[in-house]
Amino acid sequence: MSLQAASSPTRAWLTGISEAVPLLGGYVPVAISFGLIATQAGFSAWEAVAISTLIYAGASQFLFVGMVAAGAPLWLVVAMTLLINLRHVVYAPNLAPWLTSSRLWPWLMHGLTDQIFAMAHARLPQLPASQRLGWFTGAALLAWLSWIGGTALGAVAGGELIARWALMGEILPFALPALFLVLIAPRFTSRRWSLALGLTILSALLLTILGLTNLAIPLAAACGALCFQVVKLGHTPRRENSQGERHE
Amino acid sequence: MSNALWVAVLASAVGTLLIRVLPLFWMQRRLERQASDDGLEAMPQWLSLLGPLMIAAVFGVSLMPVTPDAVSWLATLIGVSATLAVWWLKRTLGWPVAAGVAAYGLVMMFFG
Repeated sequence: MSLQAASSPTRAWLTGISEAVPLLGGYVPVAISFGLIATQAGFSAWEAVAISTLIYAGASQFLFVGMVAAGAPLWLVVAMTLLINLRHVVYAPNLAPWLTSSRLWPWLMHGLTDQIFAMAHARLPQLPASQRLGWFTGAALLAWLSWIGGTALGAVAGGELIARWALMGEILPFALPALFLVLIAPRFTSRRWSLALGLTILSALLLTILGLTNLAIPLAAACGALCFQVVKLGHTPRRENSQGERHE
Repeated sequence: MSNALWVAVLASAVGTLLIRVLPLFWMQRRLERQASDDGLEAMPQWLSLLGPLMIAAVFGVSLMPVTPDAVSWLATLIGVSATLAVWWLKRTLGWPVAAGVAAYGLVMMFFG
């Protein structure tokens, strides 16, 4: 799986799928956990699968079934679910300059999770325009189907799977941080960017350790943005590119 | 699932899709305007800044091990180092991830 551009539309689909394979290590174990928790909360397997298919937003789905099981008012359940997903609001505009004129793009935004955004933000600028739709479709579809499949598996046999493959359930999710690291590493292009990114990573980790997982992403990104704006370390010889350096 | 609960699922699904898609329409209109008006900056700086920072934040969140203890933190440290080392050498997407997971898994299996 190299960072070279694919050379044909079909190849772009396959490249998208192959590059999204590392996501499965993180998606499937979490989806299995969701399927199991949803059935334990009183949802049927089909209902759990429907939630994963339609809402398709990891953390908010856990909150959704948890609040429903706890008897929270449904308007509050919906409001909290949307509040957690609000961070996604900055994703599509960051990709927009590289999206082609196809009418499929708005529908494909259903698959714009944190992970797919991270991959697309790094890869779309490197791909020729003719390859971008295929690449995104392949990557997003594999991620979506793995989330749905994992949920079904967890709802049907989650307890047994987790008991049998406990260690794999701990090891495979490391594919996600490893993938994010590869996507973010080329953006450490200056002291200013390194400070902002480093602070963001550390504050996100710290907030997660403190149990504020849902707030960690927007808060940490805001800390990093503040750091980037305030700390003018760089009397950099070249112009700071606010989007970081592309890693061709 | 009751009808009211189905409505809640659908409302959450449609709301989440709108959160993802409406900003795309906004940005596309902005890009079109920029094409006809050179003075307009297509992407506000704060927005282009947030892209990489959100990825960094997701990375920070994902560093938290499934079961946090001394061994899993050590495995995380070694896994991150292995990922970075292979990325530095290969500059590809797949091999560094595979190396990171392998290093993390080895530490977990031997010391866990």
